[in-house]
Formats: sequence, C-alpha cells, structure tokens
Amino acid sequence: MSEPVITVSELTRRFGTKAALASVSLSVSRGAVYGLVGENGAGKTTLIKHILGLLRAESGSVRVFGLDPVADPVGVLSRIGYLSEERDLPDWMRVDELIRYSRAFYPGWDDAYAEELRHAFALDTSATIKNLSKGQTAQVGLLIALAYRPELLVLDEPSTGLDPLVRRNILDAIIRTIADEGRTVLFSSHLLDEVERVADHVTMISHGKIVMSAPLAAIRESHRDGERVPSLDEIFVAHFGVSAASSPDA
Amino acid sequence: MRSPAAAIGWQFRQRHRWGFAALAGYFVVLAVVKLLIFASGQPITLETPARFAIAVPVPLAATFTYLLAVFSFGFAGDLAARQSIYPARMFTLPMTTAALAGWPMLYGTAIMAIVWLGTRLFVLWPSGVAIPVVWPALLAAVLLAWTQALTWMPYGLPGLRVVVATFWLVVIDTIVLLALHYQASEAVMLAILAPLLPLAYPVARFAVARARRGEVPDWRGLFTRPAQVADLARRGDRHSRPAQAQAWFEWRRHGMSLPALVGVLLPFELALLFAADDAPALVILILLAVLLTPPFMANFTAATVREANPGGGDGYGVTPFMATRPLTSAALVAAKLKMAMWSTLAAWVLVLIAVPLALELSDTSSLVVDRARRVIETIGTPRAVTVAVLAVAALLVSTFKQLVQSLYLGLSGREWVVRLSVFLGLSFLVIIGPLVLWIGNHVAVVWDAIPWILAVLAGLKLSAAGWIATRLYDTGLVSDRTLVAGAAGWVVVVLALHGVLLWLVATPFIPNYLLLLIAILATPLARISAAPVALAWNRHR
Repeated sequence: MSEPVITVSELTRRFGTKAALASVSLSVSRGAVYGLVGENGAGKTTLIKHILGLLRAESGSVRVFGLDPVADPVGVLSRIGYLSEERDLPDWMRVDELIRYSRAFYPGWDDAYAEELRHAFALDTSATIKNLSKGQTAQVGLLIALAYRPELLVLDEPSTGLDPLVRRNILDAIIRTIADEGRTVLFSSHLLDEVERVADHVTMISHGKIVMSAPLAAIRESHRDGERVPSLDEIFVAHFGVSAASSPDA
Repeated sequence: MRSPAAAIGWQFRQRHRWGFAALAGYFVVLAVVKLLIFASGQPITLETPARFAIAVPVPLAATFTYLLAVFSFGFAGDLAARQSIYPARMFTLPMTTAALAGWPMLYGTAIMAIVWLGTRLFVLWPSGVAIPVVWPALLAAVLLAWTQALTWMPYGLPGLRVVVATFWLVVIDTIVLLALHYQASEAVMLAILAPLLPLAYPVARFAVARARRGEVPDWRGLFTRPAQVADLARRGDRHSRPAQAQAWFEWRRHGMSLPALVGVLLPFELALLFAADDAPALVILILLAVLLTPPFMANFTAATVREANPGGGDGYGVTPFMATRPLTSAALVAAKLKMAMWSTLAAWVLVLIAVPLALELSDTSSLVVDRARRVIETIGTPRAVTVAVLAVAALLVSTFKQLVQSLYLGLSGREWVVRLSVFLGLSFLVIIGPLVLWIGNHVAVVWDAIPWILAVLAGLKLSAAGWIATRLYDTGLVSDRTLVAGAAGWVVVVLALHGVLLWLVATPFIPNYLLLLIAILATPLARISAAPVALAWNRHR
C-alpha cells in the first residue's frame, strides 16, 4: 500500500479556552476522494488550515506528502490545489491577469486544461474579479486550483455560491476525474447529498473530534436497518440530532 | 444601550479604552506636576517661544493626533485607499446618514474641546507664556471635524485622500498662524474658526452618503495608458518565475502609490519657485521641501505596504490566497522589497526630472548654480561631488527605508503590535519636548555621552540583528548562503560608508570609531531582516 498523502497524528489546537481540534488523527490515502463533514464550528476548516500549514500544530503532527507544511511550505503548497471557503482572490485583478499570475507558480500548469475550464465556466477573461458574482468567483478559484493538475486538491465548501447545475455537472465530474487519474481530493461540505455522490471515504467531525471516519459504503452498511440503507443525511442526524444542511449555522 | 447614538459612543469607548486610560493617566501625571510646582511656589519660566513650543504644544500634539485617528476611524481604515475609511459595517445600521456622520463628529469635536480646556485649566503648568483658553479648543474641534469629513470621502485616486486632507488642514493652520502673526484678539480668532466647524458637517454627510451608496470615483483610467505601454514592453519575460509574478503583484498593488503622491504634490511645491525668483534662501528652502517630499510621503504609503491584506476587513492577517502561494515567507517579503525599490526609483525620477525643469522655467536655476559654485570653491570639487552624490543616495535610501522599515510590524499580523508601535511613537512625541529641553540645559554632559549613546544603540541593533539571524537560521526561512551573503553585503556597505565618512569628515575632533558607529546605525539591518520572521509568524499561526 502506498504512503498516505496526508497523515495527521494526535493534532490538538485550542483557540483561547475552546478546543478547536482535540487529538485528531487522520490518514488520507492516494487516489481517493475524502469528504469532511460536520456542523459549523466543528473544526473542518481548522483541520484544513493545518494541512495547508496556515496553522501550526500546538501538539501532534501534520505531514503532507511526508513533509511538514509549516517547515516546508513551498514543497507542500506547490503540489496542492486549494479553494478557500473565503473566496479571497485579489479583487483588483482581471481574470486573465490572475491566470497569468498563478501559472508562474506551477511548472505543471496546463494551458489547454485552463482554457477548457474557462470555457466550461463561461468566464470572461477581461472581467475584473470584484465585478464577478459569488459563483463566478468560486469558478475562477476552482480554475486556478485545478489548472496545474495538483496531486492533492483541497476544497473548503466548494459548493458555496455555485448553482446546482455547475455543482452537479461540473464540480462532481472534476472531482471524479481527479480521483480516476490517481490524484487525491479532500473536500469539506455541509451538503451531504453532494458528499454522498462523489466521496469514497467520509470523515465526520464534531466539536473538534473525529467521530467517524470510514469508506462511505462501510458507513452506510453499518447503519443498515434491515433492507433499508440510510442516506448520509440520516446517519448524520442520528449522530448529531440535526441535519448538516438544515443546521441554523450551516 | 437604548439608542444608536449611545451604541456609537460605546463603540469608541470600548475599542479605545486602553488608549483613553493611558491618556487619562498622562494628564493626571501632568496635573500632579502642576500641583507640585504650585506647592513649591517656583513657577517655570520658558524664556523663548521655541522652548515653550517644545514643552507645551509638541507633547499635546501627540494626544490630539491620537484623538484625530480615533474619531476619524483612522486606525481601522486605509488612508491611501480610494474607498472611504468610514467603516463599511456601519452602513447597514438602521440609522440615517446624517446620524452616521453627525454622532462621531459630535463626540469627537466635544472630546477635542474638552481635552484642550481640561489641559489648559488643570494641567499646563505656569510657563511665563500667555496661553489662550477658548479658541485653541475650537481649533482642535475644527481640525478634527475637517479630518473626519475629508478622510471619510471616497476619492478617485489612491493616496489622494492624504494630499487633499493635508492641503486643507495646512490651509486652516496657515490662516490661524497669519491671524496670530497679526496679533488677532481672541474674539477675532473665534470669528475666524467658528464658521469652519458647521461647514465641515455637510461635507462629512455628503462623504458618508457617497460611501454608503458605494460611489467611489475611479480616475485610474487616466493613467492606464502609460502603464499598459510599460506593461506590454515587459510582457515577454514577465511571470516566467514565481518571484517575478509576486513582484508584479506587489507592484500592481502598491508600486504606483508613492510616485502618484509625489507627482500630485510636486506641481504645488515647485509652483512656489515662480514666486521666489529673487530670494535665494526661499528657493533653497523650497528645493529642500521638494527633496524631502518622497521620504515624507513614503511614511504614508508604508502604512499600506506593510499590510498583508490591504483593503480587507482584517488588514494585517494574511489571506488564505496569499498564505498558500508556494513561496517562502522570505520570497514574499523580497517581492515587497523589490516593489519598494522600483517605487522609490520612480518617485525620484519624477523629482529629478521636475526640479531642473521648474528651476529653468522659473529662472531660478542661476541661483542654484551660483550656490553650487560657491560650495565647490569652499570645499573643492571632489568633496562637493561626493557630498551631492551622498545626499542623493541618502535621500533615495531614506525613501526606501521609510517604505520598508515598518514592514515587520504590519506583516506580524497582530493588530496589538501595530497599536503598540503607534502608542510608542506617540509616547516618544510626548517626551521629545522635555528631552530636547533637558539636552539644551546639559549640552556638555550629552556631548561627552554621545559615544556611549551611539555604542549602546549600535549594540542594541546588532543584538537584535543577531537574534533575528538566529531565528532565520533555525526556522530555515532563508538559506545559509543567503544569510551569509546578506551579512557580508551589510558589512561591505558599512565599511564603504565608514570609508567615505573618514575621507569626508577628516577632523581630529571626531574619532574613527564614532564614524564607524554612525555607519553601523545608518545602514538598515535589523528591522528589514525581521520582516520574513514576522510574516512567517503571521502565515503559520
């Protein structure tokens, strides 16, 4: 079995008195699609930020491709495609400027693929980022995260702002294609039907602790009620007492 | 809190409670000093207006500057940005625009007036100078009201806010100084200042209304053509490396701010040459002001350059987009340094083109040539050329230094670090007056202590640099080779500067080691080296 792409061991992080992550351990293997689910404030984004090296482990360790993302940000970040939940692209840039700027950082940038994605998203290259809609900004973010075919794609709430058509037809297809090419995807979402559609493996996180992490099929099988196999949303409700999508925080 | 007015007041009080407490403490200390003076029956007499200025208005200026920043929301906003610095989050409050503009103005002007009156009546000690009571309170309120109105206004160009606000506040100050020069009575001063206060309110209301509607004019298009031409000229090899892409990013973000500010101010300054054709001293004074403009304006630009996330809600935190660039923190800082270098050069190219042109057109060039000839006759051509080259180099380095020396503060991403630095700066302003007076009274002691003072400062600088170098090495932020090359480069610059100073200041009265200490202190090292450490602290929290 190949070495895991991400290895998180006994990771703990506190913000003031609140434990955002408490002894979290996780191993993400190559070529799989991992869905990270949990209610708001559960610790999903905090975990992702540790994987990217934006947060330093207070205790425990994080390794991505066997490297410490804080000690070697270039070694790790040059192999990761990341879409931030905050959609914080520089709003003064034009789309073509952002593409030209971004491609300089990644030797494996695929111009043809970038153009293909731009067509798929129907993006105007002369548009300024600040004049784009929330969904279009997310699409630009996806484009620059995908165009260099990263080994690991990390998506934090990728569906936010995307219309259902783009979400179902494009995002799902992209994620599946990446996995089929042997690359890895880790994405957080509160849309459990989406996670159910594309994820191979689901990790549920609550109050900073991983309460369940297993292949999706195994999770569903373990919650089987006779002939009936429950949906991920039903399993989530059974564990947390509230649906992720209908949670007031979600 | 039962009313929006009370909520706005609470917001000021809550956000700046420590600053207000420090101010109150400062005034209590001064009031105690005054009581002690009264008790001893020995009034302090400050013989000259200059000494009075150092002892009284300079420390107070720090207080009033702080209050200007508080009530114009200057701590939260970006002075150099086109957008209003009025907090956007307040635009969604269920309040009229009149109230949004009016309450901060009312609170601010009232506090300014009260602080002055309290200071004048209870704090200032007897000084032998007749200090007026009422009109300075009104002047403080007027200056605040206009600062609010002009900083809350959206502008068409980055940096224009600083130019317009500075210009208008200087106009008000000039009117007041002229009135004082002609010994105007208190009633006349009040008559001059009183109408200015209500006039500021409609301007502030208009500014907030525009900002609330999101109306931000954009005049940058006027300058895009030359920028596009320059862009096309360099397009071939640009962005071929990550460092180049990042330098381009920084240039687009901040590069034109300083040249634009200098370019806006230069015509006004150089126009004065046309009115000073027969007064050599005035011409030299104007040229001096022009030459000091780039380093002075670099201070304002630096406030934006040092922000990791300019224009964002949390200006000092690194955005995930920037934090996930596959570049080391040192490379991200290097891009900022490169941008600052080009920005400095662009500003100085403007100055070096505009000054000879203005001298020629105003027929004042002969005065400057004559002065230069006299300097050459006095100290000889080689020394005169060296002094001129050193002066230009010093101004260039000073401009660059102003742009980058506070990078480490903003890049640390901690608002408390920035606030602490502002507080220390204002505290320095408060003590500088008494310090200068004390030095004036103990010139011999200070003169003897200069070598020790310089040695201590150089020791502190080198210790800080040593600690930073250790951090850079331990964290692997820069390679060993870069570290060694940087240290060697710094030593070479220090030795070269020392050599020039030795040749230039050939006098037995100043020992060699003193010139070496000066060279060490003048060559930037610790603060610039601290920037990658600060950014890494911010980027990997």
